[in-house]
Amino acid sequence: MRLELDGKSFGSREVLGALTLSVARGERVAILGPSGIGKSTLLRILAGLDRAYRGRLDGADRLAVVFQEPVLLPWRDAVANIIIPTGCDAATARDWLAQVGLAGHEGKFPRQLSLGQQRRLALARAFAAAPDILLMDEPFASLDAGTAGRMLALTDALLTRTGAGLVLVTHDPREAEALHARPLLLAGQPARLQTRLQKD
Amino acid sequence: MTGTPKPPSSRPGLVPGVLSILAMLLLWTLASQLTDRPQTLPAPWDVAARIARLSASGELWFNAGMTLFRVVASFALAMAAGMALGLWMGRSRGADQWFNPGVIILLNVPALVVIVLCYIWIGLNETAAILAVALNKIPVVTVMIREGTRALRPDLDDMARAFRMAPLARLRHVVLPQLAPHIAAAARAGISLIWKIVLVVEFLGRSNGVGFKIHLLFSSFDVTGVLAWALAFVAVMLAIDLFLLRPWERRANRWRQDAA
Repeated sequence: MRLELDGKSFGSREVLGALTLSVARGERVAILGPSGIGKSTLLRILAGLDRAYRGRLDGADRLAVVFQEPVLLPWRDAVANIIIPTGCDAATARDWLAQVGLAGHEGKFPRQLSLGQQRRLALARAFAAAPDILLMDEPFASLDAGTAGRMLALTDALLTRTGAGLVLVTHDPREAEALHARPLLLAGQPARLQTRLQKD
Repeated sequence: MTGTPKPPSSRPGLVPGVLSILAMLLLWTLASQLTDRPQTLPAPWDVAARIARLSASGELWFNAGMTLFRVVASFALAMAAGMALGLWMGRSRGADQWFNPGVIILLNVPALVVIVLCYIWIGLNETAAILAVALNKIPVVTVMIREGTRALRPDLDDMARAFRMAPLARLRHVVLPQLAPHIAAAARAGISLIWKIVLVVEFLGRSNGVGFKIHLLFSSFDVTGVLAWALAFVAVMLAIDLFLLRPWERRANRWRQDAA
């Protein structure tokens, strides 16, 4: 997928400046920057959730998003939470639940899962959509260090196994490193993308 | 919110409920015995005897059935139209601005005016009767569903869009479950309002149904008969609430209750 952005503004405030970002299957990119800089806005544009921007987005890649919060359907059990959004079959859903370590929790509702388990369910849901590129928006924030570490390792392993590409939005460079993602810094006003080398 | 289930709350005060009904019956009995004109306030057993007679003759079932048919038809129409309109107005600011004045006007037009106009414009027929009742209820449902739609979670909306969920699947699995409490409230408030309006519609322009019967009894000042028909139909509506609406509401809200 390739985004050629001329600019994005909220009202009169110019949030994102001109930037180009292209990601292919198997390629991993991390967009770093302080909070409020426009990282999530950029990810929403990539995900097709925000179309009110100047520029163009090309590519027919299958995308899947992991949001900051798990964003599950509280009224459906774990398996249905994978099947309904992705349209995969029940066996695939169970398989992905097992791969993220949620075997035995298939019939549980989101409320009955811990936050860490809910995030793994969201991860399983994203991979069940068989994405070419996975979009992740601060998915490890608000997790304790141990849980975040296990989630990172799990994400890395699943990305390698499926060969999916990654766009990770985070403020923590260590997460980018752990996922072997090429770091890009979003900085400035309006914000533009810079490679870390130029910044350093 | 505590995770422990509370069995007593699922049956709200069975004993006080029964006792309170018995107390009302006692009060009614006392009042009926104290009055010197038994035809204005008959004793409960007189009314019960009348209900038994009406039920034995089959008259009760036919007329209550006709009324129930009108209740169900206008209820279904009002819920369907009100939900569609409420969803649309909750989602689109433009639709809200265009339809809101109409909804407000319809909310405030007296039920009787809508009924009379429907009968005059459409004719003294079943269509007019059902439409008149539905028109009285649609704005109420619309407003309740609109408020519910405005409170829909944007994050779930994003998720559904990000995963390219089909519109129908989104409605069924993402939108309607969030609206379930609002739909249940609209249905609960609606069914009681609707059956009262159905009686007026029957009173004014139908030749069967509970309202029509009450019309006849009114002309002969037969209070026993009026009470018999009213109580019999209240019992029917209570049964619907108890055995249809409540179990559905419980099922729709099941996911809220079972925390591990």
